[in-house]
Amino acid sequence: MTDYFEVHERDSAARVGELRLVDSVTTPALVDDVDTETPGNCRHVLDDAGSRWSTERDAPDGDESLLTVLPHRGLPAGTPDEVAEAFAVDYPDVTFPSAAVISPDTATDHSSDAYVLAGAPGYVGHASAFVDAVTTVRERIPADTALYLPGVATPRNVATLVYAGVDLVDPDRAVVRGTEGRYLTTDEAYFLEDLDELPCACPACQQPREEFDRQDCVEHNVNALAAELRRVRRRIRDGRLRDYIEGQARQDNWLTATFRRLDQQYSYLEERTPLIRRADLSAASDDSLRRVEIQRFAERVTDRYVPRFDDRPLVLVPCSARKPYSDSQSHKQYHDAIKWRAHVVSMTSPIGVVPQELELTYPAQHYDSVVTGNWTATEIEFVSRVLERYLEGTDYPEIIAHVPGEGYRDICERVADSLGQEFTYTVTDHPTTADSLGNLAAELEGWDRYPKREREHNTIRAVADYQFGEGAGDELFDDLSTQGRYPQLRADDADGEQLAALAQQYGVLSLTTVGARRWVESDVPTKTVEIEPFVPHGSVLAPGITDASDDIRVGDDVVIQGDAAFGVGRAQMSGPEMQSSTRGIAVQMRHVDEQ
Amino acid sequence: MSKPSPEVYEEGKGMDAHNSVMRDIRSRNDSTYDPREPTRVWLDEDNTPDGVYQSLTIILNTGGCRWARAGGCTMCGYVAESVEGGTVAHEDLMAQIQHCLDHEAENSDEQSGLIKIYTSGSFLDEREVPAETRQAIAETFADRERIVVESLPDFVDEETVGDFVDVGLETDVAVGLETATDRVRHDCVNKYFDFADFEAASEAAQAAGAGVKAYLLMKPPFLSEAEAVEDMKRSVRRCAAVDGCHTVSMNPCNVQRYTMVEELYHDGGYRPPWLWSVAEVLESTADEDVIVVSDPVGHGSDRGPHNCGECDDKVQRAIKDFDLRQDPAVFEQVSCECEATWDAVIERERSYSLPLAR
Ligand code: SF4
Ligand SMILES: [Zn+2]
Ligand SMILES: [Zn+2]
Repeated sequence: MTDYFEVHERDSAARVGELRLVDSVTTPALVDDVDTETPGNCRHVLDDAGSRWSTERDAPDGDESLLTVLPHRGLPAGTPDEVAEAFAVDYPDVTFPSAAVISPDTATDHSSDAYVLAGAPGYVGHASAFVDAVTTVRERIPADTALYLPGVATPRNVATLVYAGVDLVDPDRAVVRGTEGRYLTTDEAYFLEDLDELPCACPACQQPREEFDRQDCVEHNVNALAAELRRVRRRIRDGRLRDYIEGQARQDNWLTATFRRLDQQYSYLEERTPLIRRADLSAASDDSLRRVEIQRFAERVTDRYVPRFDDRPLVLVPCSARKPYSDSQSHKQYHDAIKWRAHVVSMTSPIGVVPQELELTYPAQHYDSVVTGNWTATEIEFVSRVLERYLEGTDYPEIIAHVPGEGYRDICERVADSLGQEFTYTVTDHPTTADSLGNLAAELEGWDRYPKREREHNTIRAVADYQFGEGAGDELFDDLSTQGRYPQLRADDADGEQLAALAQQYGVLSLTTVGARRWVESDVPTKTVEIEPFVPHGSVLAPGITDASDDIRVGDDVVIQGDAAFGVGRAQMSGPEMQSSTRGIAVQMRHVDEQ
Repeated sequence: MSKPSPEVYEEGKGMDAHNSVMRDIRSRNDSTYDPREPTRVWLDEDNTPDGVYQSLTIILNTGGCRWARAGGCTMCGYVAESVEGGTVAHEDLMAQIQHCLDHEAENSDEQSGLIKIYTSGSFLDEREVPAETRQAIAETFADRERIVVESLPDFVDEETVGDFVDVGLETDVAVGLETATDRVRHDCVNKYFDFADFEAASEAAQAAGAGVKAYLLMKPPFLSEAEAVEDMKRSVRRCAAVDGCHTVSMNPCNVQRYTMVEELYHDGGYRPPWLWSVAEVLESTADEDVIVVSDPVGHGSDRGPHNCGECDDKVQRAIKDFDLRQDPAVFEQVSCECEATWDAVIERERSYSLPLAR
């Protein structure tokens, strides 16, 4: 039971939370011992009840204004499993804010508000050991508890620590490095004597260089660490920590190795990555291709999406900078040539392929990439793989590649070759030249236009497949009638009862309770949150939940079921997080029926 | 050695785990040694209750520590330096002694007044060194002034110690007490006797006309720097209060091969103590009525006690100087910028955040 910690915002494994002490502490936070004097901006809220290696300890009394570290046996990195188990400590269930010291081998739910990862100094600096330790511990302790990594944070590494799932750090390492004459910045650990000017505007650095000594260096280091944490908190709130990490982690190779290794822990990150976000995603390097958002989109387009237009030609077109693509000048020109006679799929790095029905769906209209015209080998490899897998599930009578030379054409040729399929190339010089567009139109000569209704229906169904799972488009929306004007579509049943609306900003469906009931009745696995017998209005809090589907992700539409109510809302936590949390908003309700 | 009876099940569990891990680690070591050569021998100078003597230190190869064969102490690699299979014969042990006498003759013009004999176990344990050998060795060194022999508390009695007292040697029994805190000795060191056993051994030694020299270990694994310093200060004071214990040798832990400490060190979970910590303990216990000495082995290296690298030799010299003069003023003359780092480590390091600095 977590009483003194709550998660407010999530950005993948990183969170902004609140340590609910007498004076609350916003996490990720820089916390220090209550009795330690530290220059700079720390919250002195830690109270260590002491190590049981040296002596037996009395149970501490606790204090509502402090986070008491319960008597512990810290296990340094390298402690053999057997020894770790033999000396595992039983923690009392206390009524004051408390932290339990744990190791990857011994981590489990101790009913504490926070957990201290013992041995952190041995993990930090080694990507695989660090990722192993943090992900193992994070999976074993409840989601709504804070993870404290003692003795390791620096201005340079702290963003990556938080990105991995850490909530609390201390100034110890920054202080120690300062006493050693190391001047820490977000990019380096300079030897103080090598600096002829101080690259910082913090109060400690506002003095002549000659007078700046190691004591000042300590103060600067702590300031720099605190400032970096402020930036990290802002990034989490904006849903943009990953963009920052891809750049910041370059400052130290072990950090780059760390976020790449985390990318390999796909299920750890996927579980924590929202389905949709407000913020744009910046794709500036090959590392962006490994992002959960990108991988998930590619996976759903190739696995769940059903090609409902493959009775007509496919036109592959390049993406546009402007989103959604259909709003761009170039795509309007393609459209004028195609005139609803073919299915349009955009090719893009970093997303892969985007069928026209999913052009609104996150992150298809929420990414921004660096345009140089040159594709990297990794991008070519990635887009080729996605396109090939996409085509394997389709049966187009003809494939027209209306793409420019560099990159796009290479990919098409590669895929055509691999699939043994013939592509028709319609671009000479550039896709928007009159010749190219003329070729494209000529190639579609003889095909009829499909009606607007078909386009709208297929859009709703494609989004449903993408969002709810295979078969959802047909099962939930078999007797569909659409209202409104794209992209503001409403999905009704044949009798005019509303089932869902297309949320234009994210390209996902918002169900009504009628739509939600169809989901429950269908064969498509329902993302369900079971609640106690009450009628939720506004939101469902974690303690009211009795069970939740494992595959619920932040941003998912979920069905709420309880003895007193049936409803639908948007998940604010993942399913596993709902299961293990005892605090926090789990679902933002949209509609509820009392029953 | 006393059994881990009183404080329970949990302790038994810890000991089993430590032993099983240590057995496993030690089994990776496949070196064997010639039973006719001592493990090590060297000449030095030592402070004793009768003043400073030239000393001949012998590490006798007696076939290894029985406790180590069960697993043994977490920091101790001595078993690695033992003969295969077990007991060393009388003739071989005497050959080792001869080797040491030759070494002394080659390297010094005078005879050492002080003889120190250590084994990787207990010299007074007759399963390790038969009574016959013990008596022969006592005869061999009868013309010296003082002798120190190492033993666990259990084997100290009139008969064993008496062999040396009776030939006219000022005799001391060196006991690897490691710490006066039973909990630390058990859980961190994995050595199973109690402080009360040490007190009893001191009494027995005194009754036999001998004295006791306690060996302490600074910073076993799992303790923070501050806890390690506190443990040593407390231990020195408790030893000083034991009748018959006139000397304490407080030695910083170093990283020996094929030990659990080495495993921790390798994974970034152990740092040997700072030399400043050694100085701090010596300085603060200087007023105790006991000689306190320290011999930081491997000082200045990563695997041994060290400071920043700049000041290690300086501080080591001060410690050696203190050993001979027992004057805390020797530490006033050494200082270094890294004291600020050590201060921060003492203040901030916890058993869950070690090591805070390299
Ligand atoms: S310290 Fe002594 S008792 Fe412990 S294993 Fe080593 S030799 Fe044996
Ligand atoms: Zn500064
Ligand atoms: Zn120094």
